[in-house]
Order: sequence, then C-alpha cells, then structure tokens
Amino acid sequence: MKWLELLQVAGVTLFSAVTLVALYSLGVRLTAIAGDAQQKAPGLLRSLAYACFAVCGAGVLFGIYLIVPYFGK
Amino acid sequence: MVALVIALALFFDFTNGFHDTANAMATPIATGAIKPKTAVALAAVLNLVGAFLSTEVAKTISGGLIREGSDGIHITPDVIFAGLMGAILWNMITWLKGLPSSSSHALFGGLIGAALVGIGFHSINFETVLQKVILPAIFAPLIAGGVAYLCTRLAYALTSRHDPETGDKLTQKRGGFRTGQIFTSSLVALAHGTNDAQKTMGIITLVLIAAGTQTPGSGPQFWVVAACAFAIAIGTYAGGWRIIRTMGSGLTEVKPAQGFAAETSTASAILASSHLGFALSTTQVASGSVIGSGLGRKGTSVRWGTAGKIALGWLFTLPAAGIVGGLTAWLVSIGTVGVVIASVAGTAAVLSMYVASRQTHVGHHNAVEVEEAGQAVRFRKKKKSNKSKGAQL
Repeated sequence: MKWLELLQVAGVTLFSAVTLVALYSLGVRLTAIAGDAQQKAPGLLRSLAYACFAVCGAGVLFGIYLIVPYFGK
Repeated sequence: MVALVIALALFFDFTNGFHDTANAMATPIATGAIKPKTAVALAAVLNLVGAFLSTEVAKTISGGLIREGSDGIHITPDVIFAGLMGAILWNMITWLKGLPSSSSHALFGGLIGAALVGIGFHSINFETVLQKVILPAIFAPLIAGGVAYLCTRLAYALTSRHDPETGDKLTQKRGGFRTGQIFTSSLVALAHGTNDAQKTMGIITLVLIAAGTQTPGSGPQFWVVAACAFAIAIGTYAGGWRIIRTMGSGLTEVKPAQGFAAETSTASAILASSHLGFALSTTQVASGSVIGSGLGRKGTSVRWGTAGKIALGWLFTLPAAGIVGGLTAWLVSIGTVGVVIASVAGTAAVLSMYVASRQTHVGHHNAVEVEEAGQAVRFRKKKKSNKSKGAQL
C-alpha cells in the first residue's frame, strides 16, 4: 500500500531536514559565540562550528549517495 | 509522428526548466548570497546532474499510469502527442497569467484527458493515478510545509542569543545562513532535476514503447536521459535571465535563516519522493515550504485569500490540461488533417502567448512562482529599532 511509502517520505523528510537545520544552526550559533569579544576559547568553538558544518555536508552527501541507484547495488 | 512527439516532449522539458529556475534560485539571489549569473549557471548544471541521478519517477510514468500492452490496449503516439499539447498550452497560459501551477500536473492532466478521449475510460489506471499522483500532490506540500515550519522554529530557537545577565537581545549574527543558502538552493535545483526531468524521460519512453521500439516495462534508455537532462538544463539557464532582469525591485521578505529552513525541507521532500517514484510538483512543494517557514517566524499570519488562490490553481491544473489534451486527441483522431491542425494551432497559440508576454510588463508575479506563496504569509511590521540590518542577520 502506498500509504506506507507516503509515511516513509514524511518521516525521511522530517528527519533529514530537521537534522541538517539543527546542525547548521548550531554551527552558526557557535561561530557567533566564537566571535564574541569576551570569549576565552574562540579557537575551540570555531573548530566545533566547522565540525558541525562538516557533519552537515557529509549528511547531504550521504543522502545523495543513498538515492543514486548506481551505488545502491 | 514519434519524432514529432519526442521534439514536443523535449520542448515541454525546456518550458519546465524555464518555469522552475526561479523556485530554487530566487531566494539566494534576493538575499545576496550568490551572484545572479553564478546562481543560474549553477542551477542549470545541477539540474543536469540531478536528471542523471535517478530514474524512478520516469518508471512511474512510463509503466503504470496508462495501461499499456498487456491488456490489449495500445496507447499510440497520437495520444501522447495530444497529452503533451494540453500540458504545454496550459503551462504557457499559467506562465502568462502568473498563476502558480504545476508543470507536472499539467502533464498528467493532459495525458489523462487525451487517453480518455482517444482510447476510452478503461485505459487509465486510476489506482496508480490516485496513489502516485493525487495523494502525493495533496500530502507532499503539507509535509514540506510542516517540516519547514518546524525547521524555521528550530533554526531561530538555536540561534537566538540573549545576554545571560540582563536578558537583552544580543546581535543575532545569523549571517551564516546566507552562505548555507548557496548549498540548500543548489540541493533544490538538484532535486528538481531528479523529479522533473524524469517526467519527460517517462513520456519519451512511453512513446518508444507505444511505437514498439522498446519493450513495455523497461526503463528509459541512455540517450533519452541525456537529451532530457540537457533540455531541462538549457531551459533553466534560459529562464534564469528573466529572473535576473526582474530581481531589482525586491522580493518577498524572506530572511536567510528562513530561506535555509524552507529550502532544506523542499529538497528533502523532493529527493525522498523521487527515490520512491512519486511524481510530485516541485512548485507546490516549494510553495508549501515557503508558507510553512513563514509561519515559523514569530508574529506572522496567513493571508487566506492568496493561499486560496494557490489552492485553486492546484485544483484546476489537472482538469484544465485534461480538457486541452482531450480536445487535441479528438482532433488527432480525425486523421492526418487533424494532426496538422492541432500542430499548427498549438504552435500559433504558443507563439502568440510568447509575443503577448513580451508586451506585458515582466514582474515578480510571472517570474517567480513561489512569490505567490510568500505573499500568503503576512509579516508583522517590525519596530524601527529592530529594522537595522545587524539585528536581523
């Protein structure tokens, strides 16, 4: 039945979009904090932020990897 | 006849790309995240790549929508010709009128109408139509809208900064989302390629099957995939210039964080559906996301009038394109004379609409389909102190 597939689409959409947005927002937040003047360890925060962006990018690539039938076999 | 239909199908693909570039690239251009020229070129390339990625949607169209072969019903290239005619004409009309309509539904409507008139009631696989076209059409925008709403809330919650002692608002520094938008809008363009280019591939495959050069139930051939990919990419590139020309006067108030959330939801929804072979309308999903993310911002309300207009457009597209498709099918059934009349009338209609479009002022209403969706959400007027750029980015 297609209802299941529809539910699947909804679930996947929700999960992937929320994950990506959360990660990216976290990255933005961390860069913002790192930019604050009184911050003691801007380097650490900045690298954490970049890690967030990197995981985010990796997530996107993984998603595309899942879709391409060429890799699926 | 087969060659004529393939040419017509590729033209449809071109108009499809032409129609939809704006959906993906309008927001990043508007927020200044990316230069217009680069954006359009990027969209074209990613559409090209996306078209090669998956062929699930093409299979839905070529095998299932119309019962072919096995039950003794032969769908002929004539019927597909009529269907495409309906789709292209409706596409041009809505483009001229600035209605946010779905190229995909125009295509399905045209085909269904043509098959009903040309072959008969029994030719349509209504179960597949319901499950793979109607249901996704209703639910995909709702899903995308809901997810976009949540994502916008999340993005704002995660990045809102308050002073821990005084509780005052700090500078929000949401500029990072602007860079992010380059990637998300690229994803939307890619997703568009995986869904919309597939539809034309499905049609051409259907023609080849109908003409007997390909076995029923098989997927699209490589040259078909390549041709469709290039047609949509060229259409995207050509369509982009119109947006650039009209971008001067400002777009719907979309903040980078909001655009980011909306685009991520759109891309996820389309890619997930493409993978399962749901042929859905990218325009509608994008509209759903824009409305959803608009609601996710504080102090917004929906303009139900505009939203209703969008919904009406959704409802009308299938039957309207179906009627044109049916009429063409009736003309074609007369014989060669009918085919000639249909082709000439169709070409004349397309040309005259193109000429008419040159004379009317090109504004956002007919360049950016999602614009309509953006208008459906009313934003609360901000206080003057908040209006400085630093506070919002």
